[in-house]
Amino acid sequence: MFEGPVQRLIDELSRLPGIGRKSAQRLAFHLLNVEQADARRLAQAIMDMRDQVKTCARCFNVTGSEECSICRDLRRDPAMVCVVERAQDIVVVEKTQEFRGRYHVLGGALSPIGGVGPGQLHFAELRERIGNEGIEELIVATNPTVEGDATAMYVAREMKPLGVRVTRLASGLPVGGDLDYADELTLGRALVGRQEM
Amino acid sequence: MAIRSDQGIVLRSFPFGEADRVVVILSPNHGKLRTVAKGIRKTKSRFGGRLEPFTHVDLVLYEGRNLDTITQVSVIETFSHLRDDLDQVIAAGTMVEAVDAVASEGEPSLRLFLLLQRGLRALDQGETSSDLVTAFLLKLAEVIGLAPALDFCASCGRQAQTLRFGFAAGGAVCDNCPTEGAVRLRPGLTAYLSVLAEADLADLPQPDPRFSGEAMGIARRFVEYHLERRLSSLAVLDE
Ligand SMILES: [Zn+2]
Ligand SMILES: [Zn+2]
Repeated sequence: MFEGPVQRLIDELSRLPGIGRKSAQRLAFHLLNVEQADARRLAQAIMDMRDQVKTCARCFNVTGSEECSICRDLRRDPAMVCVVERAQDIVVVEKTQEFRGRYHVLGGALSPIGGVGPGQLHFAELRERIGNEGIEELIVATNPTVEGDATAMYVAREMKPLGVRVTRLASGLPVGGDLDYADELTLGRALVGRQEM
Repeated sequence: MAIRSDQGIVLRSFPFGEADRVVVILSPNHGKLRTVAKGIRKTKSRFGGRLEPFTHVDLVLYEGRNLDTITQVSVIETFSHLRDDLDQVIAAGTMVEAVDAVASEGEPSLRLFLLLQRGLRALDQGETSSDLVTAFLLKLAEVIGLAPALDFCASCGRQAQTLRFGFAAGGAVCDNCPTEGAVRLRPGLTAYLSVLAEADLADLPQPDPRFSGEAMGIARRFVEYHLERRLSSLAVLDE
């Protein structure tokens, strides 16, 4: 293929998600032609992110300090905790501007097929928070997949006996979608979760 | 490149590219299919929940070089009730994982398919026997030609009393046959396993708590030994 350092960069880039061999080549040759300072800034940004980013000691959100800005925000309701699979999911829930509590990042989902067990996720820390922080309700916002479902059921099974309310995001029809296109599983859930008007 | 139709039960899927998933499906006609569902990870994907694991679907596929692309999908059976209970989901996960391990691509798998369908149906109807997964694994071993010897000695073939089980030997062994690594069984266990191996998954006999746990352990280790891999689904709640 290409000589030494160019090929090395292509190899590294093509290991990134969503980047194939062709895109990796294009990016590498682009970086070959930009200003030295621009290339250095990119490299530095990657290193800084890795060196400086921490996970929040309380909720496992990504942060630059000991605790994340959500956990430090005194206006947020500590009695409500939204349980998510990954830190990226916090951003999604935050964008709705409908939630004023705190979060807990599990670091993934239980996988009944292929076997990610509870010991690999932050359940023990969640249990501890329930004891320490006066949490009254856990809102489980895991994905509506087999894994997300299993995780939600596990949270309910393990945490309800500790005296918290456990709720889960309703799943149903996508807003702006057409009933004709809804699949059986989605429509079935929308029916079970229907609301009185 | 051609268009063809097929059907099957979704075994598992994993993210692929930006918004796609590779969906692994067991077809009664063509064995394991590795297909691509384009754009399925977007909330508004037209696939919706139709390609979730355990779903039995009808497919239209566009044949590709490596992977076939799913162009249309409709649901034959969702088996969605089994997803309402953690233990049922783990049992279903175990069935699917074991089937995934033994199925191969391009090989008709009607018996394996029917076994999986019966297993998922039993789970979906709820009130499942604690012996269901054990019976499923024994039947799976039979379908792939590895049925353990239960009514006779796996080593000498005699119908003697068998109180030990040899995983390498291929089943229960009598006391006359020295078998390396054989484990001791509770008296009556081989008969209990034998009944489960023969029984209808939809109508299993009442589980006996004296035997259930050990029967599961033997069936699981036997399958794991011959597949040369652990069934990790079963380990999910072990800890
Ligand atoms: Zn935090
Ligand atoms: Zn013998």
